[in-house]
Amino acid sequence: MRRSTIVTLRTAGRAARNLLLLACAAVLTSCGGGPSRPDCPAGKVCLQYGNASEPATLDPHKATGTWEYRILADSLMGLTQDSADGGTVPGMAASWETSADGKTWVFHLIDATWSDGAPVTADDFVFSFRRILDPKTAAEYASLLYFMKGAQAVNEGKAPVESLGARALGPRTLEIQLEHPAPYLPELAKHQTMFPVPKHMVEKYGDAWSQPGRFVGNGAYTVVEWKLGDHVKAVKNPRFYAADTVCVDEIYYYPTNDAISAERRVKRGELDVNTDIQSNRISFLRKELPGYVRTHTYLGVAYMAFNTNVPALKDKRVRQALTMAIDRDFITRKLLRGGQEPAFTFVPPGVANYSPATPPPWAAWPLAKRQAEARRLLAEAGYGPNHPLKIEIKHRNTPDPMLFMPAVQADWREIGVDVSLAQNETQIAYAAYRSRDFEVADAAWIADYNDPMSFLYLQNSSTGSQNYGDYKNPAFDALLLKADNEPDAAVRAGYLAKAESIMLNDATVAPVFFYINKNLVNPKVTGWVDNLVDHHPTRLLCVKGKGAPAPAG
Amino acid sequence: MFRFIGRRLLVAIPTLFLVVTAAFFMMRAAPGSPFDMDRKLSPEIERNVMAKYGMDKPLGEQYVNYLKDAVRGDFGPSLKYRDKSVLQILGENYKVSLILGLSAITLAALIGVSLGVIAALRQNGTMDYVTMGIAILGVCIPTFVTAPLLVLVFASKLGWLPTAGWNNGALPNLILPITVLALPQIAIISRLTRAGMIEVLRSNYVRTARAKGLPEHRIVSRHALRAAILPLVSYLGPACAGLLTGSLVVEKIFNLPGLGKFFVISALQRDYTVVMGMVIFYAALILILNLIADLLYAMLDPRVKLA
Repeated sequence: MRRSTIVTLRTAGRAARNLLLLACAAVLTSCGGGPSRPDCPAGKVCLQYGNASEPATLDPHKATGTWEYRILADSLMGLTQDSADGGTVPGMAASWETSADGKTWVFHLIDATWSDGAPVTADDFVFSFRRILDPKTAAEYASLLYFMKGAQAVNEGKAPVESLGARALGPRTLEIQLEHPAPYLPELAKHQTMFPVPKHMVEKYGDAWSQPGRFVGNGAYTVVEWKLGDHVKAVKNPRFYAADTVCVDEIYYYPTNDAISAERRVKRGELDVNTDIQSNRISFLRKELPGYVRTHTYLGVAYMAFNTNVPALKDKRVRQALTMAIDRDFITRKLLRGGQEPAFTFVPPGVANYSPATPPPWAAWPLAKRQAEARRLLAEAGYGPNHPLKIEIKHRNTPDPMLFMPAVQADWREIGVDVSLAQNETQIAYAAYRSRDFEVADAAWIADYNDPMSFLYLQNSSTGSQNYGDYKNPAFDALLLKADNEPDAAVRAGYLAKAESIMLNDATVAPVFFYINKNLVNPKVTGWVDNLVDHHPTRLLCVKGKGAPAPAG
Repeated sequence: MFRFIGRRLLVAIPTLFLVVTAAFFMMRAAPGSPFDMDRKLSPEIERNVMAKYGMDKPLGEQYVNYLKDAVRGDFGPSLKYRDKSVLQILGENYKVSLILGLSAITLAALIGVSLGVIAALRQNGTMDYVTMGIAILGVCIPTFVTAPLLVLVFASKLGWLPTAGWNNGALPNLILPITVLALPQIAIISRLTRAGMIEVLRSNYVRTARAKGLPEHRIVSRHALRAAILPLVSYLGPACAGLLTGSLVVEKIFNLPGLGKFFVISALQRDYTVVMGMVIFYAALILILNLIADLLYAMLDPRVKLA
């Protein structure tokens, strides 16, 4: 036994040595080549796409993340679709009409097929809307479709799915009835919640229809492979209605959680695109990799929420003083340095269906004047050197808040407020905000679709736990309700802007900065247009030097 | 010996049960839920989601249901990766961790033991100080420092190896992650071996062997080493389990589809079922590897009796 053990050990040692030698040889022969990329068939265009995170699902009715949207929007198409600049153009619907009261929409579908050859029909859309609202689907984002007639009752299980206000008037004519006018419907129609799913496949396979291999879509690509933690692979769908305009043949989406590692891979040419950059690397990368850094104001705002249940913060003057004392220029230009814009309004500039609200008058003042006014307001409210205001900021421990919360603290100390900071894991912080267990909260909001309502509804008194500060102003609520019932888009925009002005004057939130979207894109990738919604459909991209077909209409 | 194995396996069942129970209730005691996100779900939708995953029932009932399913080998669906079951996640990703972990531990054992022996034989010599100095560095410098450093040199500057990616397990993609995983293990193993070796070389039976005139290489390889690596064997069990279940840091930096990230991220995201699956997997692995370590002990050291 003992001898045999030793013999075995020796044999193992020899085997290991041989293996090592072999490995060294293999390394020497395989190294020194170009960057490591999966094989791309000859004559094809392959795109290596750093997609930031692992998709949780490929079922549009269950998806919630932007990284899922990027894959899904390449393989499925709603009634409308993105243009290169993030605008909304006709997709599966060639045209549509709206009734005078804005509550009935009729969509005329184009002649398109699923990737298995079956026609895309109005019935597919009706089936899809019913499916996402069916309580059994348990779709987290179902509430985005509550503007459809009867949708909420269906989703709450109080009415059968058949009662939903969506029906097929013909194989290619779809009617949607609404609870209230929604001029942003075309905007929402390109969101994953309104994507069609292939009825014939879902009826056959149930929830497993979206597994690669079975996945059938009506978009420019079809998902063929999903290796968890490694990549999702999609190939060009030859049956896509505009397949002849699509340049990229194969896409590999990688869950690049580590932005720094992804940055090295882009630099090395292993990735062509990565959809995130660590904020503090942006100025460096602009020099290091000229032409790669692509940023644009995003559909998101970072803000401080004041809990109006806290006695000191019930006083509007205190909230106003705190709001105006934040040095947003310092935070954006000196700390974050990624190109973020200081925020004096809650809705970012450039949002669709909107005429922006005027920022409060103090926004244009120099900091010293704002501080003086803030001190005056605090004194008026009864706070001063002998009786300082004491508050705690609860904030998330993610990189951005960790960076700028101390700056807010310093700004508020400057006007004589005694501020302490309490950092929390993101989930715990949000749980505390929802249960109103905070005085001042650091919060962030990325809108789900491009419309001012997707920001302003947060402050509606009926929104519940997400209205962290419990803001209640009947005038604000009334304007939102009026906007909801207004079929004329311009008039509606006016109501919303007025509502925002009221809210900004009440200062229950202090907007700090608008988010930016940050992409690292190899300059040889063409067709990439920076935009507000950060949508960049792959079917509109190409790689320089490859015979690009005529751009899509 | 078979009685020993049988008994140890029997003891493993209550151990696993305790681990599962503790993990289940600790996980649920943490604030937040798997369905928390920036957009707060309306109560109706939250109810739909909870009902779908059986989380609307009382906690005790959920626990019993979980145990029942787990005994049948059904660990449920992931609450976050909604297209995947826990078994699918384990099944798709354990191979990567297995390849990386086994390679790293084998490499570390070969190099570490050799270095340890050399250092012990040249105790207080230059070789000893050099190897042990390097070993100290290996223990002290964390992987999140060595990994980017190695990438910087061998991938970014020299361009010999890819910076990251799995690429279907291509060898060039494996070299850096394996090296990073092996480095701290080499350090620990060489120190353990050195300490054991020094002690054994001073023992009576080695002195006897020398007195008998046995050649030094036989004394070292046949008599001393076997006793000297005993502490190493008990260390290797848990170390193996740690490496085989993946490393968040290495997987993140090298963008590898291993198990490690599910350990950490699923806990942060409150993905209860995945956390439970991982805990069970890890606990079972530890139990089995410790058992193997004990068996090896008996094989290497005639004084140890399995009973």
